[in-house]
Amino acid sequence: MTATIAEPELSTLLYQGRWAWLRFNAYIGAMLGIAGMAMFGVGAYEENAFLYQILSMKGVMWGGTGALAGCGLAVVASTMKPVLLDAKMARNITPWLDGFVLMVILAAIWALFEPAQSQITYEDQSNLFAGRIIMAMNVIFIFSAVSYIAYLFAPESFIGRLATWTAYTGVFLGGSALLLRWHESYLFDMEIGHAPVSNLYEVFILLFCITAAVYLALEKRYEAKAMGAFVLSLVSAGVFFGIWLDSVGQSDIKPLVPALQSYWMKIHVPMNFVGYGSFAVACGAGMAYLVRHRLEAAGGTSKMLAIFPSLDQLDQLAYKAVAIGFPAFTLATILGAAWAAEAWGGYWSWDPKETWALIVWLIYGAYLHARVSHGWHGKALAWWAVAGFLITVFCFLGVNMYLSGLHSYGRLS
Amino acid sequence: MPRMQTFPDLLKSLWQRIGSMSLAIILLVVLAIASVIGTVLLQNQNQADYLQQFGPLWYWVFRSLGLFDMYQTWWFMSILGFLMVSLTSCLWRNVPKMLKDMRTRKAAVAEKSLKHFKYLHDWQMQDVDADQLQQSFRQRLQGWEFRQVEQDGVQYLRADKGRWNKWGYILVHSAILVVLVGGWIGSEYGFRGNMAVPEGSSEHEISFLQGTETGHLSMPFEVRCNSFSIDFFPTGAPKEFLSNLTIIDHGKEVLTSDIIVNEPLYYKGVRIYQSSFGDGGSDITFKMFHMDGSETITTAKTKVYQSWKDEKTGLSIKVTDFKPYNVENMANPGEVIDFQDLGPAVVYELRGPDLKPVKIKAFMNPFIDPKGKNQGSFMMVSLTGDKADYKPVSLGLDLTNPVEWKLFHAFMRQLAIVDKASKDANLTAFKTAMKEVFGAGKRPERMQDVAMRTLQAVNMLSALPWPMLPMLGDFEQHYYTGLQLAMDPGMNVVWFGSAMLVIGLCIMLYMPHRKLWLIIHPESKGLHITLAGMTNRNHLIFDQVFNDMFTQLDQDFRQNT
Ligand code: HEM
Repeated sequence: MTATIAEPELSTLLYQGRWAWLRFNAYIGAMLGIAGMAMFGVGAYEENAFLYQILSMKGVMWGGTGALAGCGLAVVASTMKPVLLDAKMARNITPWLDGFVLMVILAAIWALFEPAQSQITYEDQSNLFAGRIIMAMNVIFIFSAVSYIAYLFAPESFIGRLATWTAYTGVFLGGSALLLRWHESYLFDMEIGHAPVSNLYEVFILLFCITAAVYLALEKRYEAKAMGAFVLSLVSAGVFFGIWLDSVGQSDIKPLVPALQSYWMKIHVPMNFVGYGSFAVACGAGMAYLVRHRLEAAGGTSKMLAIFPSLDQLDQLAYKAVAIGFPAFTLATILGAAWAAEAWGGYWSWDPKETWALIVWLIYGAYLHARVSHGWHGKALAWWAVAGFLITVFCFLGVNMYLSGLHSYGRLS
Repeated sequence: MPRMQTFPDLLKSLWQRIGSMSLAIILLVVLAIASVIGTVLLQNQNQADYLQQFGPLWYWVFRSLGLFDMYQTWWFMSILGFLMVSLTSCLWRNVPKMLKDMRTRKAAVAEKSLKHFKYLHDWQMQDVDADQLQQSFRQRLQGWEFRQVEQDGVQYLRADKGRWNKWGYILVHSAILVVLVGGWIGSEYGFRGNMAVPEGSSEHEISFLQGTETGHLSMPFEVRCNSFSIDFFPTGAPKEFLSNLTIIDHGKEVLTSDIIVNEPLYYKGVRIYQSSFGDGGSDITFKMFHMDGSETITTAKTKVYQSWKDEKTGLSIKVTDFKPYNVENMANPGEVIDFQDLGPAVVYELRGPDLKPVKIKAFMNPFIDPKGKNQGSFMMVSLTGDKADYKPVSLGLDLTNPVEWKLFHAFMRQLAIVDKASKDANLTAFKTAMKEVFGAGKRPERMQDVAMRTLQAVNMLSALPWPMLPMLGDFEQHYYTGLQLAMDPGMNVVWFGSAMLVIGLCIMLYMPHRKLWLIIHPESKGLHITLAGMTNRNHLIFDQVFNDMFTQLDQDFRQNT
């Protein structure tokens, strides 16, 4: 080889090769360490102080030991098998985990703006800072959606960049606001504190962030900016719903009913939303596919076509999103079953929420089969992705609103 | 003319049809649609409610189809069974083929099939060394597995990545079978039922719903509830339900432990869960306010779920429930919800000769409104016995204060004597009554309120038809703890299948099988080199990978010349 190798860029250095590999393993180690603390630590898992358990010396010890062990193993493994340094998993997942760390830092900064302890009351939670960040997130997401749509009509790279960056900002605002809310829940009373995944309002914010994040990951890798108009529009629709929830007083932090006081909830719920979010992105890809199909049928003279990914690419993107969502949703459903087995004495009770999760799972399972089998083409599958998401929305919202069952926490009271 | 199929042929083609992908799609969708029914139609409710809701005809139709207990019906089970047969068939047909493919990995590719490759690039080169080309190919593909053959003078070098991908398929599809088998084992050899154990007593039988009937099953041990308690959040919402249980096996106490929701107890393969609670026969002391003007207050002791009867008047009280906390929304319709605890209350049915039976929820404490004003004792009365028909009845007097009861009677007596025609008859009567009860010149605190209450009581109390007014005087609470007991020998099978499913999915979706060939064809002038690729999934990425590969190899090859 000649010496024409360019100076490695910072991002290459950070996200490829040994640094990404080391960080990846350190993160995994830290997570396993924290899980170990929850399971085996002295005092083990306490519902009403888990956040501070993680942030305390004890958590730092467990997490830090895990991280160091992870690094050590990573070094050993990559010495024995150098290809590991280029492992795709590490490359793809590390940026997400970095982003999460950034969110934690942001949340710690926001916490400085919290009103004085004496000003905080359970009855009136409107002065808490997370509410303001969430408002900012709402505005940013809507702005981002508008920019993505504008980009369709005026494909200037400036507008495109603006759309992407605002979407990133929205994700970080939302994620850090949720973390801050976790902290805030302890401010009323240690006993009330719990992870911010316990009611519809909180999981909605989680959903926006995950949907946008999954989309951004795909955008980065496949340069499918035109799809953003559809995905971010879905997110914006959700944002309006969230604002409505807030306006009818559903945004208050409330103590957890006994059934929800379980560490399973902290894994089951976010995992579920990785599924929902990915299905939303698949729906966005499906919609983009149908629009492009329309444009092409109309003669293919529209200027928009130039920035749309090709039909084949959109088809693959929808598949890609489902391929992220399906295993996550499968795992989430299994975790839910494990939780049910521990809380209610049976892993499956044909409760409406469970049954609808099964329905969603079957529909996307059928989607994956239809894609492999002959005779199904892009357009039918695009419709399937859109319809599948409608069913998902029913599973997520409709069941809580219209059907009764054990998952009554999501109910609008 | 097509040949008539023999029976074995027919079976064979049917077997293949059953394992086909289109049938899989249909089965999954049919299962999804069937599952919807049971979520729209509430399952396992009271049959009478169904009859009322749907009318006789539809009730009969739905009932014949088993829609009220849908997930256990023969037809739903048949769909699941059919899914298992279909999965077995497709595994049966595909697995041997896949295992063989994964093992052999033929390196040579026929010229003909090469044309069908989606990924294909060519070079025409002179003065290069085939070995060196292969060397750079191998170097570029770190972590791939290689196979090399020479056939008819052509050199084939095949590289594979993720060649175990088909294990994903095998794992996922057998996982579904494993999960279904686990579920079947659970339903066949497991049980799940409820048990209510009052504090201080023990119980060894569970009851469960079997279609529309209740079944019973005896456990191989007894469960004693030593105590039950509820812990509250500062906001008043319940935080924790805790039972202290002792397991008694053959008369011996073997284990004592606390259980809370989400933290069950495990004994002899049976899991014991905290699932509900209720009144376990609390001791109730009624204060009986005699309404015959005699000013008498007597007490009556009884328990929840028991009855008490007054011999003289024939009045009977059947206590049905007791609750120490009664959090109710006190806001008027349209206002912001405002939950308040109204304190202990007892629920009873009141009967007597010539009386309409009523259901009453009597509160122990008077109602103090948000402004701190005492509004007197009150109860909820339902004429039909239905919960929805409860109407609040404000009694006027604060019956926890014996002085008010006395004052009320004094007032009634004075009312009877004063000159009704005079303008302030009420006032005169009240003043005299006050003097009688408190002595001259003395007056109770909040005199205004007491006066208002007494006036109100005149109308209210005299309108009540009962000879006595039973109010909650005192109580000693005993809970029962509602336990759920379950044994499921198939559960671990299900978890095993679930793990297979998730691992299999990850292999199937994230570790695509990619194949690359470097085919070197010696020709009269130099070498004809072909790079061919194939993947079973994720073409977007492979597109990029393949083109990058081509560019890199191109560079390498040119440097070698
Ligand atoms: C609940 C049941 C099932 C689940 C969750 C499931 C899941 C899957 C998934 C995720 C794929 C991969 C699709 C892709 O390439 O992205 C797949 C492929 C496949 N499934 Fe299923 N499946 C189920 C039932 C069945 C049944 C009943 C059959 C056959 C009758 C079947 C036959 C196949 C076949 C032939 C493939 C293609 C394998 C390949 O060559 O890659 N599946 N299945």
